[in-house]
Amino acid sequence: MEQTMHENEYLYSGHVACSGCGAAIAMRFLLKALGEKTIIVLPACCWSIIAGPYPQSSLKVPVIHSAFEAGGAVASGVRAALDVKGDTETTVVTWAGDGGTFDIGFQALSGAVERNEDFIYVCYDNEAYMNTGIQRSSSTPYGAWTTTTPGIEWKKLRKKNIVEALVAHRIPYAATANIAFPEDLVRKAKKAKEIKGSRFLHIYSSCPTGWRIPSEMSIKIARMAVQTNIFPLYEVEDGVNYTINYKSKEYPVREYFKLQGRFKHLSDKDLEQIQEMVNEDWQRLLKKA
Amino acid sequence: MAKGKEMMGPPSILIPCSYISTESNKTGAWRFLRPRYEEKTSPCSAACPAGEDIGRIEMLATQGLFKEAWETILWENPFPGVCGRVCYHPCERACNRGEFDEAIAIHTIERFLSDTAARNDFKPVLERLPARKEKIAIIGSGPGGLAGAYFLALLGYGCDVFESMPEPGGVLRWGIPSYRLPLSALRNDVSQIESQGVRIYTGRRITRDLLEDMYGTYDGVFVCCGHSASRSLGIPGENLKGVTNGLDFLRRVREGEIPSVEGLSVIIGGGNTAVDVARSVIRFGGKALIAYRRRRQDMPAFEDEVAMLLDEGVELRELVAPITITEESGEYVLTLGSMKVAGEDTDGRARVERDGDTTEEIRVKRVFKAIGEVAAESWFEPPEKGTDIKILNTCVMVNRPDHPAVVFGGDLTAGFKSVVNAVASGKEAAIALDIVFRKGLDSVDEGLADCMVGDGPAHSMEIHMKGERYKRSSHIVPYEEINTDYFSFTQGITQPRLLRDERLTSFEEVDLKISASVAMRESERCFNCGLCNQCDNCYIYCPDMSVVHDSSIQGRHVDYDYCKGCGICVVECPRNAMSLEEED
Ligand SMILES: Cc1cc2nc3c(=O)[nH]c(=O)nc-3n(C[C@H](O)[C@H](O)[C@H](O)COP(=O)(O)OP(=O)(O)OC[C@H]3O[C@@H](n4cnc5c(N)ncnc54)[C@H](O)[C@@H]3O)c2cc1C
Ligand code: SF4
Repeated sequence: MEQTMHENEYLYSGHVACSGCGAAIAMRFLLKALGEKTIIVLPACCWSIIAGPYPQSSLKVPVIHSAFEAGGAVASGVRAALDVKGDTETTVVTWAGDGGTFDIGFQALSGAVERNEDFIYVCYDNEAYMNTGIQRSSSTPYGAWTTTTPGIEWKKLRKKNIVEALVAHRIPYAATANIAFPEDLVRKAKKAKEIKGSRFLHIYSSCPTGWRIPSEMSIKIARMAVQTNIFPLYEVEDGVNYTINYKSKEYPVREYFKLQGRFKHLSDKDLEQIQEMVNEDWQRLLKKA
Repeated sequence: MAKGKEMMGPPSILIPCSYISTESNKTGAWRFLRPRYEEKTSPCSAACPAGEDIGRIEMLATQGLFKEAWETILWENPFPGVCGRVCYHPCERACNRGEFDEAIAIHTIERFLSDTAARNDFKPVLERLPARKEKIAIIGSGPGGLAGAYFLALLGYGCDVFESMPEPGGVLRWGIPSYRLPLSALRNDVSQIESQGVRIYTGRRITRDLLEDMYGTYDGVFVCCGHSASRSLGIPGENLKGVTNGLDFLRRVREGEIPSVEGLSVIIGGGNTAVDVARSVIRFGGKALIAYRRRRQDMPAFEDEVAMLLDEGVELRELVAPITITEESGEYVLTLGSMKVAGEDTDGRARVERDGDTTEEIRVKRVFKAIGEVAAESWFEPPEKGTDIKILNTCVMVNRPDHPAVVFGGDLTAGFKSVVNAVASGKEAAIALDIVFRKGLDSVDEGLADCMVGDGPAHSMEIHMKGERYKRSSHIVPYEEINTDYFSFTQGITQPRLLRDERLTSFEEVDLKISASVAMRESERCFNCGLCNQCDNCYIYCPDMSVVHDSSIQGRHVDYDYCKGCGICVVECPRNAMSLEEED
């Protein structure tokens, strides 16, 4: 693995992310790739807590906490301020959860990327409002239990395809990444850094607490999401050029679902249906690539 | 936090601005499971009678550290050139990679390393203990005797090896033919052993009287004279002129004689001797037929050898036993009786008995007896009973007040006769004697148990000498504990061989050399079960920056001030070199 992974640390220990938190790993990899000339805009999300209570910070780079819905807008402002100062070197990154991206922050994000603001928007996706108590978001996948989709009321709607929504804006770069594939993640973050305009990274980040999984399985499950085609690794340039980065092993989705408490109510029939949905999405993606 | 302060600067505008780091939160207090580095035992090394540290050898070979890899073999086995060629490699049967795709070609890499060492004239740097005053006599310079002498030399003892033949090596020199074991390979290993200070006196046949004399001059004796007398068939005609011992034939061949073998030779037996005689006969232009009383799968000869034998055109007749041999006008008539399977022996082989009265006669030019070998003299055998006898795994130790410690080993005491088992026996003898001299007889059992590889029975010199391997857990890593997400399917190597026609006309080595790149590609397939290869996954995936690089051999440690015990490092270790334990 390239040297970046083995040195350069931009997080402090002592942060209060849950044990085995995928979002902490995601941030760690992102900053290893982007380096110290980075400003993080942080709309409300788990990371608002992980970044540390005042007066502490768990990040070695500057962080601006922002309102839930404002990730895209605040980043636009920070970029403008840096431009005024003549600082072209610093990368502005909005680091938002799925709630702040798929739902609450969507209009500010859409507005910013429509203007092709020069920043990287990263959504670390743990598929629900975890920090506030595991409420479903439009990123929560079909079949999942959350505190707002409990018991037999488990979520029966599909996860929003956020990358396609961003691609529809024809931004210069959009990509998926996953904490179990650090090299791919770091490469994509570095690539995004070199591109001008709006760039979007969708990082799969497992959540032991919200998903009801053992903390040590965080990476294993993240990897399986890719191996089963549930979360394919791909990138899209200029809204049209698709590249699939990982030749999937096409493991059955069942393997992924059976390891997670949030899916334990699903019947074989449900899993078959989910398998079909995953196959369909994968075929659709293959056609584009 | 000074660093934090520098980074953030003092608040200059009227918004709250953090200026210290989170490092004051000792999140280690959350932990109820504790990860730690703990190297474990690979199944191959536990299956190797010599306990070679195979996982590490492959790791070093992968890195191109061929000398270090070779030295790692030498810790446990002074015969890499020989064993890389003729060992039956039980390690490969135990190899975890076999469950994934194909087992690692461990013996091929071993041979490559020894060839490389010879070609580059490597001088090994080996761990040795300071010289001691005790001197040991070793009788017999087969693999058992020489291994015993070598390990004793490393442990600090002066060693004299006495050999009746004009050259050292035992069966390696006078039995196994050169198409399997070229002389140069044996000589390289033997001279490496001599370079450790072992003195070999050839042409010195020890008698029982001379043994008694040795008691006065030596502090210990290792008797390792091998099995060189052929078992008799016990049938009429076995002493006819055309009926000879297979082992004698092989010896004459290795002495350089070119025997006349025209016509059909029948070899009676199913062990290595039978197979080697048949394959030699074929090479001298004769025809060979092996008559074996049980079935092919029951033959004590190694499987690969039997396969090659058939490939080379030797005929194999199963379930036949010789009844008589008679001479008829310069030829012989061998009468064979049919046998049938009548149950199973304790070792899993078929038990056979006569199948009615059916017999068959074959006209042959000569018959070779190869139904097994026994000790040539009665005093080679260890006494069977007595309070002063200690039966070890592969040796028998006799401690009588009137003479120094005497250990019998190698084929003389082997449950399974092979080169590597003889090496294991030499090692056990050396370690046992070392314990007797350093700590006394009463400590032998405990001392031997302490240096076992995994659950034994193999012993490790490195563990006995308290090297790095001493710290390893004896837990043998099963396949299920390998994180196979980090490995992809790759084909193993196919051993390049002489073409069949080339084999039939010469005693050239059948197995050909492999290149360094092929060897490295093969060793890279190794999972390195239970061993850290510095992949750094534990560091990379830690969400809490609690794996910290340092300058120790491990290269890193867990910072328990912050480690929350999530366990990701342990699960993501591809080779189970970490453990997760409950906090107490
Ligand atoms: C034909 C054949 C092929 C084999 N092929 C294989 C193989 O492919 N792979 C494998 O692993 N094993 C093989 N074996 C088995 C293996 O060779 C033996 O198990 C091994 O050599 C035993 O080692 P050792 O040191 O106990 O005895 P030996 O190798 O028999 O050595 C004993 C030595 O003691 C010497 N000696 C005997 N009496 C005296 C005395 N009174 N004074 C001084 N010296 C004495 C002998 O001359 C000899 O050199 C084969 C055996 C045979 C016979
Ligand atoms: S994969 Fe390597 S370490 Fe594991 S059993 Fe096979 S040879 Fe030994």
